[in-house]
Formats: sequence, C-alpha cells, structure tokens
Amino acid sequence: MTGCFNFINPLAVTEEPGTTAGDFYTRNFEKKAVPGRIILNLGPQHPSTHGVLRILCEMDGEYIVRCEPVLGYLHRMHEKMGEVKTPWQFIPNMGRVDYLHPLAWTWAFVGACERLAGIEIPERAEYLRVISCELNRISSHLLWWGAFVMDLGGVTPILYAFEEREKINDILQIITGSRLTMSSFRFGGVCTDADERFKSLAKEFIPYLRERLKMYKGLVTDNIILRRRLEGIGPMDADICRRYGATGPILRAAGLARDTRKDFPYSVYHKFDFPVPAGPANDCFGRYLVRLSEIEASLMIVEQALASLPEGSHIMEKAPKANWKLPAGESYMAVEGARGQVAVHVVSDGGPKPYRVKLRAPGFSNLSLFAEAAAGTLLADAIAILGSLDLVIPEVDR
Amino acid sequence: MLKAIWDNIKGLYSLLVGLSITGRYLVSPRKTIHYPRQVVDDEILASFRGPLELTRGRKEPGQTRCISCQMCVRACPGHCLTVIKGDAKAPSRWIYDFSLCCLCGACVEACPAGALAFSHKVYLVATSREELKLDLLADLKARTEKEAPPKNE
Ligand code: SF4
Ligand code: SF4
Repeated sequence: MTGCFNFINPLAVTEEPGTTAGDFYTRNFEKKAVPGRIILNLGPQHPSTHGVLRILCEMDGEYIVRCEPVLGYLHRMHEKMGEVKTPWQFIPNMGRVDYLHPLAWTWAFVGACERLAGIEIPERAEYLRVISCELNRISSHLLWWGAFVMDLGGVTPILYAFEEREKINDILQIITGSRLTMSSFRFGGVCTDADERFKSLAKEFIPYLRERLKMYKGLVTDNIILRRRLEGIGPMDADICRRYGATGPILRAAGLARDTRKDFPYSVYHKFDFPVPAGPANDCFGRYLVRLSEIEASLMIVEQALASLPEGSHIMEKAPKANWKLPAGESYMAVEGARGQVAVHVVSDGGPKPYRVKLRAPGFSNLSLFAEAAAGTLLADAIAILGSLDLVIPEVDR
Repeated sequence: MLKAIWDNIKGLYSLLVGLSITGRYLVSPRKTIHYPRQVVDDEILASFRGPLELTRGRKEPGQTRCISCQMCVRACPGHCLTVIKGDAKAPSRWIYDFSLCCLCGACVEACPAGALAFSHKVYLVATSREELKLDLLADLKARTEKEAPPKNE
C-alpha cells in the first residue's frame, strides 16, 4: 500500500476553533495527535481510487478508525460552464462529466431541454438512444468489473474486459463518432443514423458477450479468493442507502429494486421487458453480482430494441441549432446511469444561455456512504468497499 | 469439519478453472494490434471523427465550398475556428486550432454550405501547440494534388 504518512503538526493544536488554519485532520477529526494512531492519506494519486480521490484515514494498526473522502481535486466547473454556453454548446461537456457512461449524462441534459421546449423526437431516435445508452452501460460495467478485480489484486481480468469494451467501442463509434467521450445525442434526435454494419455488429455482439459472461463466471465470480475477500465485507443496508441517497447497483444490492427506467419511465423503456436485479446480498459480493446481472438485463434491452428498430428519421426536421434558445421555465430529467440516478435540472430565463444547470451525480451520493461503511474495517477491505461503489471521480467532482 | 474440507476442495478446483482459462488465452493468437508495425483496418476508422477538414467543391474539387458565413465560428463551443473572408465569398485563411477542439460536430452541423467534415486521421502527432493550428485551405490543396495530380492539357 503506497501513501504518505502525515504526522500531525503539534502547532496546529493551538488554533482557534472555526479558523481555516491547520490541515483537514485537525479541522475535522481531532485537534491533537492521538497516541497509537497514524494518519494515512490514500490518494489523491493512488491507483485504486480511480481518479484523484483523496481519503484521509485514521488508522489503528491495520484497522480504519475513521476516514473521510476529501473531494475537489478534479472539479471542472461543469455547472458554471452550463451558464456560459448555449445549450447546444454544452452538450459535449456532458460527455466529459462521466467518461464511462457519457451517454446517460448527455441524455439527461438533452432530455431536460427537450422537455422544457416540448420537443417530440422521432421514434427511431428514441430506439437508437436506448441501444447506444445500454451498450454504453455494458461497457461501463465491464470496465468496472476489470478495475474492481484489479483493485483486489487480479490484474488479468481487466485485459479480458477490454477485449469486449473495444468491441462495444467499435459498435458505438459508428453512431457516435467517438470511442470515449461520446455525446452524440442532439436536441431532436441523435447525430448519426444506424447503418447495416451497426446493426449486424450489435446483433453479433449479444450472443458473444453472453458466452463471455460464462467465462467471467468461471474466471472470477467462482474464484475462491475473490469470494473470501468480498463475501460479508462492507454491508450497506437499505437504511444507510436511504440516508445518503445512494442509487443504482448499491441500492439494488441492498434489496430495493429501484430503477429509474422502471419507476419513472422515460423514452421507450416501457416497451421493453427486462428485469431489475436486486439482492441477494448487500455486501461487496452482492454489488458485484448485481452489476453482472445488469449487463445481462442491458443485453436483453439491446436485443429487443434492435429487433423492433422502427424505420424513419434519426433526427427531427428543423432540429435546434447551435444558437437555439431555451424557452423560459425549468425542467428536470432523471435517467438511470451505470452508477445510479443521473439527473439534470435546467432553469432558463429565455435568454440564449441557460440561467442555471444543476447536475446530480450518483457517484457523489454513493461516495458519502463510504466513511460510514469503512469505519472499523481493515484497510484492504476498505479498498474493496471503495471499488464496489464504482466511483468515477470526474463525475463526483464535476 | 467435512464441510470445511469440501469447501476447500471446491475452492482449489475454482482456482484450476481460472488457471485453465488464462492458460487457454496464453496459447491463443494475439488480439492486440502492434502499432506501427500493424494498423487498424480502414473500415473501422471510417466512422471515427478525427480533426476537421474542408470538403471539396462540387464543381472544382480543389476549391472549398465555404462561403465565409461565420456560422461555424459562432457555433463552436471551444473557439477553435478562424475564418477570414477573402475577395468574393471564398475564405482567404481558414485556421483550425485542433488543440481546443472537442470534436463535437457543432460546426459541421451548423455549416449551411456543407463545407466541413470530419477526417479519419488517427495518427496525427504534434510536439507543440503551434503545430496543432491547422491551415485547412493548405490541407485541402495538398489533398487535391495528392489524389489528382494537375493534368497537362
Ligand atoms: S468539432 Fe466542435 S469544438 Fe471542434 S471545431 Fe467544430 S464546433 Fe469547434
Ligand atoms: S459555416 Fe461553413 S460556409 Fe460558413 S464559414 Fe463555416 S465553413 Fe464556411
């Protein structure tokens, strides 16, 4: 375990309460050093924090007594940028908020603006959005799968996960034009229509991934080392999820089958038949299983959507252009991202630029559970808990 | 007691399953592409959005369709474009700063003349920011000359 040891500065003890002097520890935890405890800074450049998350841990031997995530190392003012750009110009930003599931964010923003302006988009565009968003969700879960197992010490699986991810990228590139920060949704539709190659590649991919998931099970899920490291670690019950507003796989692993796609159906999700996996356990292993079942659920959606893809145009006529003004008012749209409920609240005063854009990041709420869940665990288990939250720090900090 | 032994045997077996999967991978052909000895198929690159390029004129392949209307310049969220109008409508300078571009497509979709398109250059490399300020008119000229050398009539 790398990290730097920060012994507490004894001078900090004399600081008045309420001043900003001292470091994070003396301001939030304890005014002076506690004998026998050491302070461990996990991150901000630690690989298992998936970005630049810093976690300040107070350790007693191998055990964490208290810990607190310190955020803000990757704050990029996305919300402010929403106020200084026209709505169209803000779309590419949404691809950069969460680089693993960019289409959910794009959808939330585009959808909120469309709701405000009362735009109806062609049915084919809705289907294309569903297909691309679900494929994107699969690729996000695959990367999480690999990275999570890597956090636990198994480096091989991430290479296998990337094989599938590259295939998904090849498919999505046809309709989004990019491989990472896709932001292909437009007001009134999507930017590129699906061609035959897209359809055939996507159709081939579904049985292929189902086969591969069996391999994943043999390689990782049934592996005794993984199970012993995850089972019973970091239980998060429905109560703690409710208190912190956790959503997505964490909430579902706690046994609540809550999914924005089912509870507040948007787009054409009501036309598809798919399960919302919940349970069976609320520990790290339960969250692992929920995500793997979600990949299967997403495959079902993609399969149905491809089979019933309607003909028509991929974007409505007279789609809004870059200088399009939002009508005055406000609107809100929540979509189910790979990490939980992604939501965008847009307020417009009728000017060329939105008055306010508020982004609700699921990772932020999910991360706030961590301090409570990790207290009293071994440091190595805390890493497992952190990995099981599936954090994307750019999204947490925005 | 018996159960613990059985669990351990099952555990060891699960490790063997994992090892056999990695073993099969070890002897299977390589999946990655070794750049620069190998490159990706053009078919895959065809949908990739690389840096912008000017499309060819409908009549004159060496001429741009751009009419210097500045719609793209205004649409661009990153302020990457500079179009300087020359005599008549055609631009005299068309500068594109790729270092600022997020490849969003606002300019391509805003252009009324269809003068812009994404190229599929994935191997663009530069060692300084200045090199990424691309002169698209020169690029268009170079492409035209490369593909159709001037005819001697
Ligand atoms: S693709 Fe987007 S960022 Fe790049 S030049 Fe065009 S409008 Fe600007
Ligand atoms: S929008 Fe098109 S025609 Fe107008 S300046 Fe840009 S490239 Fe030229």
